[in-house]
Amino acid sequence: MAVFSLVFDPVAVHGLAATLAILLVFGAWQKLRDPLVFGAAVENYRLLPVSWVPVLAVCLPVMEAAAGVMLLLPKTATMGGGTALLVLSLATGAVVVNLLRGRREIDCGCGGLSHQPLSWGLVSRNLALMAAVLVVMHGDIERGLVWLDYLTVTATVLALFGLYVVFNQLLANRPATPVFR
Amino acid sequence: MQEALIISNIVLWLVVLALVVIVVALSRQIGVLYERIAPMGALMIDQGPKVGDPSPIMTLSAIAGGDEIHVGSALGRSQLLFFLSPTCPVCKKLLPILKSIRTAEKDWLDIVLASDGELPEHLAFYRSAELSSFPYVLSSQLAITFHVGKLPYAVLIDEAGRLRAKGLINSREHLESLFTAKEAGVASIQEFIDHADATAHASRSVS
Repeated sequence: MAVFSLVFDPVAVHGLAATLAILLVFGAWQKLRDPLVFGAAVENYRLLPVSWVPVLAVCLPVMEAAAGVMLLLPKTATMGGGTALLVLSLATGAVVVNLLRGRREIDCGCGGLSHQPLSWGLVSRNLALMAAVLVVMHGDIERGLVWLDYLTVTATVLALFGLYVVFNQLLANRPATPVFR
Repeated sequence: MQEALIISNIVLWLVVLALVVIVVALSRQIGVLYERIAPMGALMIDQGPKVGDPSPIMTLSAIAGGDEIHVGSALGRSQLLFFLSPTCPVCKKLLPILKSIRTAEKDWLDIVLASDGELPEHLAFYRSAELSSFPYVLSSQLAITFHVGKLPYAVLIDEAGRLRAKGLINSREHLESLFTAKEAGVASIQEFIDHADATAHASRSVS
């Protein structure tokens, strides 16, 4: 019970909510900035008819950004969490299907120019994000917050964002062989 | 006691954030190292043929048939080798830009698309992306010769068969910087900046 109330403490919930919001909005912005590149990445997954790709290439990032913004506000947090779970499970499902097909070398289309290939590391990253979304959706413990809590939330957000960047960088790092992808 | 705990908490957070920043920097450096030591495995900093040197010469056949493509020989016209693949998202973004450059610079420049892999996949891509105005070659040897790591990658060879500029291309600006580099006679924008720095430094130390 003590562990339960620690995980769902307002500090943890607010910290995770703000981090998820930043990651989702940032990720959506990177995809919307270059819709052609993201569209080509979606096409690479070979899961949809080509004519649907441009629509999905806009819808997915828009939903992602909306989920991020909604997670920030307590009133819409549940809806935002649901949207985030939907987007994340669609993306993760697409990655798993292509990993099982053996198409590891395609760009994950996570945004930006990182050339991140598909991997089980990517799947576990998304599962961790989904677990964080669940924590935010179920955090309803009330507690009077003091100034130190705000400091903890700010520092948590910065640290978690940094760790996310590190994780992605490590997934993108690998020997650069002249492989065409 | 409570005050001590508060202070220790703040100090710990500062240390954690500093460590996170350091780990980000280290993981980026590992990425750079991977690129440097590839593809041979041993520490090989050499990044393929040098800018300014004569380009390696190869003769390849285009996938759509037709004349053989001569890479790197003195043709009297400049040649842009553009390395791409059907599954590279950024390459697809650059295709319309390449088409407009081909038209705008056709007085002095030939563009050759190069890739590697199974012929049917590339033929399908060649048709669906409407690339029939470009010669398209498949050769892993060409990519190895020019040390192509990441895509899209471009190499500019001048009319005398010398390598003029090369690099990873992510935007129209990157492509145009190759032409600028050729005009300015430097290998890359980085070298231009380094050169400018060195000149500024030298003139300062003289005065």
